Amino acid sequence: MSKQKKQGTNLLYQLIAEARSYPDTIILGRGDPDFDTPPHIVAAAKEAMVQNHGEFTPPEGIAPLREAIANRVKRINNIDVDPATEIVVTNGGQEALFLMVLAVLAKGDEMVVPEPNYNTYHDSMKFAGAVKVSVPTSADNDFYIDPAEVRKVITPKTRALLLVSPNNPTAGVISEPEMKEMIKIAEEHDLMILADDIYDLFVYDDFKHVSPASLPGGKERSLTLNALSKAYAMTGWRLGWIVGPADLMARVKELKAAVSGGTSIISQYAGLAALTGPEEPVQMMADTYKRRRRVVLDALDEMGIKYGVPQGGQFVFADISFTGMDSAELAQKILSEQHVLVYPGSAFDKSRAQYIRMTFLQPEEKLREGLEKMKETMSKLQVSR
Amino acid sequence: MPSKTKATILQHHQQNRLLNTAMPPLAMRNPNDLSADDLLAPLDERVIEATVSALESGQTHYVDVPGIGPLREALAKFLNSSAGTSAQMSNVLVTAGVQESRFLSIHLISEQLGKIAIPSVVHPGVRKTLGIRPLETIEVDVDAATMLPTLTAIRAALSSGAKLIYLESPSRLTGATYSAEDVAAIAELIHEHDAAAIWDQGLAVWADSSPSLAAQQGMAERVAVIGEAWPGMGLTSWHIGYIAAPEPWIAPMQSQKQIMSICTSTASQYAALEASNLFEQTYPEIKKQLNNARQQLLDTAKLDVLQGGAVNILAIRSTADIERLQSAGYDVADGAEFGAPGVVRITITGDDTAQNIIEQLA
Repeated sequence: MSKQKKQGTNLLYQLIAEARSYPDTIILGRGDPDFDTPPHIVAAAKEAMVQNHGEFTPPEGIAPLREAIANRVKRINNIDVDPATEIVVTNGGQEALFLMVLAVLAKGDEMVVPEPNYNTYHDSMKFAGAVKVSVPTSADNDFYIDPAEVRKVITPKTRALLLVSPNNPTAGVISEPEMKEMIKIAEEHDLMILADDIYDLFVYDDFKHVSPASLPGGKERSLTLNALSKAYAMTGWRLGWIVGPADLMARVKELKAAVSGGTSIISQYAGLAALTGPEEPVQMMADTYKRRRRVVLDALDEMGIKYGVPQGGQFVFADISFTGMDSAELAQKILSEQHVLVYPGSAFDKSRAQYIRMTFLQPEEKLREGLEKMKETMSKLQVSR
Repeated sequence: MPSKTKATILQHHQQNRLLNTAMPPLAMRNPNDLSADDLLAPLDERVIEATVSALESGQTHYVDVPGIGPLREALAKFLNSSAGTSAQMSNVLVTAGVQESRFLSIHLISEQLGKIAIPSVVHPGVRKTLGIRPLETIEVDVDAATMLPTLTAIRAALSSGAKLIYLESPSRLTGATYSAEDVAAIAELIHEHDAAAIWDQGLAVWADSSPSLAAQQGMAERVAVIGEAWPGMGLTSWHIGYIAAPEPWIAPMQSQKQIMSICTSTASQYAALEASNLFEQTYPEIKKQLNNARQQLLDTAKLDVLQGGAVNILAIRSTADIERLQSAGYDVADGAEFGAPGVVRITITGDDTAQNIIEQLA
């Protein structure tokens, strides 16, 4: 396949490969925190190795970790779950996402999906033979998903709603009144809800994250995923989970066993340490992202780039339509000229070729340097416009 | 009001006989658990040191989807030296355990090639993964003594249109292996029918002789080899496996791996990398102990076993023996889950297994 023809995740991997060929690349695209995993978590993993925790790992995960997840989900998300029957531990949020889709959607089933969205949802639905029904969102209103628009696209084949707040890549959020409206829609049309809470700890400007399963009528029809990758800088450990009603989770457990059997024991003990250990590192990282977000938004303002104000997440989805360039072309140009990697919007949704995604996941100094370099390319494009 | 949609979803899953296949545990659940897929082995201190060193130096981030380069190279080298294959690093995909290897290879290769032939007796994880998404399958009959598909049955399956066949050698139930002559004949059949194979050789290290189909002439482009990375090194619960396959098959499996889990746990990969350095010096002694234990069991407990080959498992078919084991409090793997009712499998989990069983049965 030629370079230009690549799409979706393959396009991202092509850019990542090129970025690696430059020793001075500044990565403002990938969703991998620049922080290493906090030392107390690594120390706990070491202790688990020394204690030789090579025991049986059931597909749903070890009991102490499920207890810790239940406590976390209650404390942060206000969802009551029974650790014995309502949690399955997964190989990161990615596997959680894949399993949720397989659990709820069969061939020909439709799921309503806010667009743009994380492309793995599309890939997983394709694997299941399910059909994506898009509800477009835009930077003009901070990627707000309008319940009225959701209602319009529901058909007799619709089986589920995907609710991701904060959303990746747009950083759009769903407020409590809107979430209640979404649950009302799900109840009226008897739909399941797939909820992605992975950025629940990263919200800004007094926005309050709300999980659909925490609201009346939400829990019985929701599967909710989360993971430690973003909040605890544990991307390499591949540790996530799904919570939901026991009857559906029993099916998720069978799917997990069929897909990968179980989750690495050492990642599970590391996850246990993360969830039961000090919260200061998480808070420190969240505060840092908050500061960096301001740096990125200020730079975009200086460059005259329009964006949806990110009220959550670790990134901003910026509108580059004034350049007249396709986002893949622009990302390639910025990478080649400045050795700065941003992600093209078209990799998330073909119709979003006028956007780029930029993350806050670099040390502030490097972030500023990357933004300055990017400004050089963007200013030339503005002059020629 | 109860959700009809949810009820429909639950019914759909509950009727999925394949997905609901029970599987033996990967590792022992208690000291009397002989049903596990893998033996219990201690974690070498050097594996711990290397893993902690990698983690402390910041290897806590995403790594490349197919796995870290040195581990892929080590796996290729291991397969080439132990099984006579000719794999390069680019042929190797690191997985989150052998079950993920089964899932990826079965679904992604059959998507390209078409109908897949599955032995009537096979690890339950194979049937379970077939329950994920409908595939066109043909069942392949097995030999009653070894529980391996017969050459006649393989020919019949390929003649009736199967373009891909899943084979285990050693068998995950009996430990029996194909002879060199049989493997050459299978290669010939595959070539003759322009077909391909997934070859599970995860237990090959525990057999004295287990020729690999991938090492046969012309088979490098037609065979995907799967297994667990360095069994016996205490990494069972770390979930680390591999697929070695022709590059055109690796690409779609790699894409699906990205969709499913992005990459395999970094800690598991660094642990496996160090295990690769220690395996050759460690495993002969483990194998010797297991062999002694197995032989002791055969000699003393007088169990009625099926023809085997791998030293870490025994398949028993006598109802009386099965009852003796179960009444002594042992958990055994039910052969019915593999497709062989009336047979059970016990795993030789360590060098004291035989002594314990003999004492309990006395």
